[in-house]
Amino acid sequence: MPSGGSLTQDPCMNIRSHIRQETVVLLLAVAIFIASSIFLNGFIEASNIVTLVRGVALLGILAIGMGIVVIGRGIDLSVVSILAISVACMLQLLNMSYSLPSALAITLAGVIVMGGINGFLVAYAEVPAIFATLASGTFVYGIGRSQWLSGDVVYMPDNQTGFMAMGELKFLGIPAEIYFFLGIAFLAFLALRFTRPGRFIYFMGDNFAAARNMGIPVRPVIVLQYIVSALIAFVAGVIMAASLHSMNTRIVNSTLLYDIILVVVIGGIGLSGGKGGIRNVIVGTLLIGILLNAMTILDIPDLYQKLIKASFLLVALIADGFINPRDEQTDQAGDI
Amino acid sequence: MAKWKTLAAAAGVLILGAVPALGREDPGPAAYKQALDGKTVILVPMAMGEDLAQGWAHYIGTAVKEAGGKFEVRDPNWNTEAGAQAITDAIGSKPAAIVVQTPDLQSYSKLYKRAQQAGIFVIQVDNPSNYASDAFVGSNWETLGELETKAVIAGCGPNSSKKIGLIQGDQVNASSLDQYKGVQNVLKDHPDFQIVAAPDSNWDATTARNVAATLIQQHPDVCGIVDFWDQTAQGTAAAIRAAGKTGKIFLATTGGGEAADCKLLESGTIDALVATDVPNQSRDVSTLIKFLLQSGLKPGDAKTWLYTPEKITTKADLKPGTCWSIEENKAAEAAAAK
Amino acid sequence: MALSESLARLRYKYIPDHLIGEILSKRWADNLVPLLFLLLTVAGLGSFIPNFFTIQSLSDASRQLGEFSIVVIGLTIVMLGGGIDLSVGAIFGLTAFAAVSVVYIFAMPIWLAFLAAVGVGALAGAFNGFLIGYLRLRAFLTTLVTFIILRAIFDILVVDHAAEIQLSDVSSPTWDFIGDGTILNLPVSFVAAIVVAIIAHIFLTRLRPGWHILAVGGSRRSAYNAGIAVRRTIFMSYVISGVCCGIAGFLIAARLSGVGPGTGAGLEIMALTAAVVGGNSLGGGRGSIAKGLMGAVVVLVLTNGLIRLGFNSGANQMVLGVVLALAVILDVRWLKNRHKMLAKVYVAPIYAKMDASRSAAPDSGSPYALNDRLANTEFIGLGELEGPEDVILDNDDHLYCGTRHGDVVRYFAPDYKRHEVFAHTGGFPLGLAFDRDGALKVCVGAMGLYSITPDKEVSRLSAETNRSRLSVIDDARLRDPNDCDIAPDGRIFFTDSTTRYDAHDWALDSIEARPTGRILCYDPRTGKTRTVLDRLTYANGVCMAHDGQSFFFAESWACRVSRYWFDGPKAGTVEIVIKDMPGYPDNINRASDGRYWMAWLGMRTPSFDIALRKPGMRRRMTRRLPQDDWLFPNINQGGVVKFDENGEISDVLGNLGGLSHPMVTSMREHKGYLYVGGILNNRIGRYKLDGADPAWTSNRSYWGAKS
Repeated sequence: MPSGGSLTQDPCMNIRSHIRQETVVLLLAVAIFIASSIFLNGFIEASNIVTLVRGVALLGILAIGMGIVVIGRGIDLSVVSILAISVACMLQLLNMSYSLPSALAITLAGVIVMGGINGFLVAYAEVPAIFATLASGTFVYGIGRSQWLSGDVVYMPDNQTGFMAMGELKFLGIPAEIYFFLGIAFLAFLALRFTRPGRFIYFMGDNFAAARNMGIPVRPVIVLQYIVSALIAFVAGVIMAASLHSMNTRIVNSTLLYDIILVVVIGGIGLSGGKGGIRNVIVGTLLIGILLNAMTILDIPDLYQKLIKASFLLVALIADGFINPRDEQTDQAGDI
Repeated sequence: MAKWKTLAAAAGVLILGAVPALGREDPGPAAYKQALDGKTVILVPMAMGEDLAQGWAHYIGTAVKEAGGKFEVRDPNWNTEAGAQAITDAIGSKPAAIVVQTPDLQSYSKLYKRAQQAGIFVIQVDNPSNYASDAFVGSNWETLGELETKAVIAGCGPNSSKKIGLIQGDQVNASSLDQYKGVQNVLKDHPDFQIVAAPDSNWDATTARNVAATLIQQHPDVCGIVDFWDQTAQGTAAAIRAAGKTGKIFLATTGGGEAADCKLLESGTIDALVATDVPNQSRDVSTLIKFLLQSGLKPGDAKTWLYTPEKITTKADLKPGTCWSIEENKAAEAAAAK
Repeated sequence: MALSESLARLRYKYIPDHLIGEILSKRWADNLVPLLFLLLTVAGLGSFIPNFFTIQSLSDASRQLGEFSIVVIGLTIVMLGGGIDLSVGAIFGLTAFAAVSVVYIFAMPIWLAFLAAVGVGALAGAFNGFLIGYLRLRAFLTTLVTFIILRAIFDILVVDHAAEIQLSDVSSPTWDFIGDGTILNLPVSFVAAIVVAIIAHIFLTRLRPGWHILAVGGSRRSAYNAGIAVRRTIFMSYVISGVCCGIAGFLIAARLSGVGPGTGAGLEIMALTAAVVGGNSLGGGRGSIAKGLMGAVVVLVLTNGLIRLGFNSGANQMVLGVVLALAVILDVRWLKNRHKMLAKVYVAPIYAKMDASRSAAPDSGSPYALNDRLANTEFIGLGELEGPEDVILDNDDHLYCGTRHGDVVRYFAPDYKRHEVFAHTGGFPLGLAFDRDGALKVCVGAMGLYSITPDKEVSRLSAETNRSRLSVIDDARLRDPNDCDIAPDGRIFFTDSTTRYDAHDWALDSIEARPTGRILCYDPRTGKTRTVLDRLTYANGVCMAHDGQSFFFAESWACRVSRYWFDGPKAGTVEIVIKDMPGYPDNINRASDGRYWMAWLGMRTPSFDIALRKPGMRRRMTRRLPQDDWLFPNINQGGVVKFDENGEISDVLGNLGGLSHPMVTSMREHKGYLYVGGILNNRIGRYKLDGADPAWTSNRSYWGAKS
């Protein structure tokens, strides 16, 4: 990760090619959308579109956090653990009759610490991000599950009616989750585009050594990156709990994490960093959403859904491989 | 035949044990004491995070300890290989009996055989496997499916749209496949009811919510949903809530009968619960262990199946004690430790 | 001698400080961190868990370990090649299914099941390899996607065929043996893992394709530019991983007699953790099979141990997470700081007391008294030469010397204005000697002993000697071959100044003052080299005595010249000829009057003499000060000394102020002239010797008039 020099490709080519992949994905999404509208009954209805977007809103929120980290040439494999354990602990605290603000404050502090630990491991201990976050994710789940929680599932106490109601909150007939998704996306867009750390993240992702040499405080920015990612995961978890009135920590064993990474990548944010933006996350999320919704309407069993989804991704990856071929001369060591 | 004999014998032993000794040398108390004294029983569930597993650990553990035995738990936390290793290790430490929640039909079969050869009784709980060990104690998943469907049909009523949806678990586990079979069995008797969609939740509440939302959106007139697990029913219920159909769509599911399930019923999140009777199921297990250890049978001699009776619980049936509680069990254990 | 000094002498004599540095400098020292982890884990858990160390328990554990380590070996190979394989768990499950279906559904023989498992594994690996190697997709993502695809296929197959497998009544003793049997009390899967590990180790360390994988992992671009088929190599690494999964899948299929939806779930994370905890670096190039295996043991022992101790769900993950983070941090730190640390601890000075010498001051009246006669030399190759350590002349009076650039340069007689590169050796040519046939024998620094025929053909004579048994560093290798001379029968005696430092780090050796130099003998009849004398304090010049049965040799930091008899009645004995000189001796060569010339590369100073008695101070100096501030032997002032076989000094040539020849490392008498070389000089000096035999040449002295 943050070591060694790197060769940057021609920036013009960079921009051209990432637009291309995004375009491919967008066209694919539109094609499936049109096909589904024609062939599937009830697909094009407004209520289904809302269902569709709502179904992937959580995924999209998580993908925004992951996207920010990936743009900075990192990866955060601990988001699902942080999501599950932080919210489960918060519910546990509520069950122990803590007030909502105090439970929220305690958990929020914990989440920031965890994000900080991730960032510290990556930035200061110089552990490759994959391993740092794999380790911290495993640890967070482990310590939460074994020390703080008694079972896999923690239910929301009955007295938290306000919290519960948030799950059903609607505005103009559109569920709050979608607003959250769009709101977080917009904030992330502003942060990445117009703030100093946001621009630094791009520079670091594009050429870490050069970014460091030009005096960017790379280490604090990395820490910030992971804290933001952890916070976004926490927000997603809170939204999830508000809707489900419980948190099941078994979600850690699910393929959610892989789905998040795939959304980020399929949208066109390259894992080598420095490329793409929030727009790519939205495109990726929509493609997955359309695909999942269509398959659910078709009543395709989950197993086959996975197979189809993964095959789509494989096609996208191969297409990306042809559009942006990697070259032995410009490959970076440790860049997997 | 053998099965009936052993059952009769078991009943005999139990009755004999209950008859007070009148003026003669009663071998009962000594035999009972000897059965488990200093011996170990090991429980290997799929994961201790489950309410079921915590229930078993409490009830079986208490019974074994009361009888003078030692009780240990190995927690593979949903990892089949870790479970296999835990059983292998357990065999190495030579307990009197192991109680295993089999994750699938096949994976542990060979280990059961090995355990029996090593002189260890193997009791399988909850999930069936293709190896008949000394005993199986658990739910009949087909029956569960049937009961749930019956509850939904009753809940929908004769004047409804008669369209029901299923939120299945997955297409892999026997518990899901057997429930589906149960649903089909009941629908044969009710040809007017039809399944409009049967998506998988993959045992994940969020996925359940999303597929249920799509299901409701596509079939707004659906009158009932059979969900295969209380955990995913949380998601399904969320979808129903979000669609503003609470009370209009009848939701039935299965569960461990823990206090949380009763709360779900009480709050109207779910409408009917087919709960596993964990206290009695655990009692079956501990009784079987005591019987097997006194019977003089060797592991592998007997094969017993005990299906836990299940019934439908609705909000109307709720009363104190309907559900068992992990909290109370913990408190009891803490009190006993003092 | 003060008590404290005696204590210091004993302490530095008997406590082998140098071993720390030597161990750290070994490549296998990389394994120390994971090994420490391994021992801590096993010892820690072993003491908590009853019956942990019983045969039964170990045997049970090793059965699972067998399968797991095979998967880890495959993943390790992929990681060494710079990739990652997240699909191992899915491939593992799929191959187990293949084996089971061959045995139970098709009722085919067991070997066919094995082939099916390995074949499916290879095919899945080839799929990964094709995408990542040939289509050059990203390994992480690609294997993530293939993981999902293969897992879905596996689940679909299990659902569709589980019933058939369960209903099958096939039973096979071979199948049961593989699953439950033991070979020499070891479970079959464990034996299989050992076999696979040995094959993989040999493959990686001894075979060309294995080297290619390491090269590609180490630097993809360099490997590509070196002509390695990068894409095919990457492809192969994934196929190997697939095959390993296949073997492991076959073994677990036999052990459990079946597969379930859980088979191989989560294996990829466990295997990845194991590979990393073992110390294999992400991004490739660094790591080994042994590391993978150690990681596998740590992870399995931890996982199973905690379950066995009855810990809650999650305790496992908590500990694994900490272990993984610690292991990676340690590994990263280790990799980053190893060189720094090594540089700090490697220099391990010893106590050395130099006895007082007679003065070399110009007006002291001592036989060593220096003068300024070397200031009056002609210069040859001034400004063209860099580092003529040794000089020699052939029968046609042409002058040869080595240079820093790795060349042997020839200056043409009579005026030595023209020159050519006579031969290129690649290393730093130091000591030179002509043999009977006119071939030039060269000690090449850091390389070995070479021969250059008059036709300029370079050939290697020796690059290694016998390995001594207890040495930590590889002392078979020649690190600093310095000077050579040839016995009448053609045997070449040459010095290897130190076994602890490379040639250019000779100054560090002087600070350490540890006697590790050797005299080696290359025998042209056998082509073998063996060590003749060892434990010499920077063995430097060597010169055949006129008797042809013995040679003189100089030990620089001991300021001593000794004589060794290799033939004749005194064979095998060493006698000190001159000791406690005021200068550090370098090369020795014959003189025309039956005496010997000896070069002084520098002069002793009282300060450094005291420093030699303060090893602690020297160690602190090397650790805390930058190299520029170190106290070194004085090499700004050298000279040439003539001595006879009794050690009597008969002549001294010096260069006060060192403007012409500050450091003298060699001199050669030829037809009345003395040619002077110095390893840090940019010239060769030619000094007219008064009264010397104008016809005498070294070659004639060695090989007679005819040559």
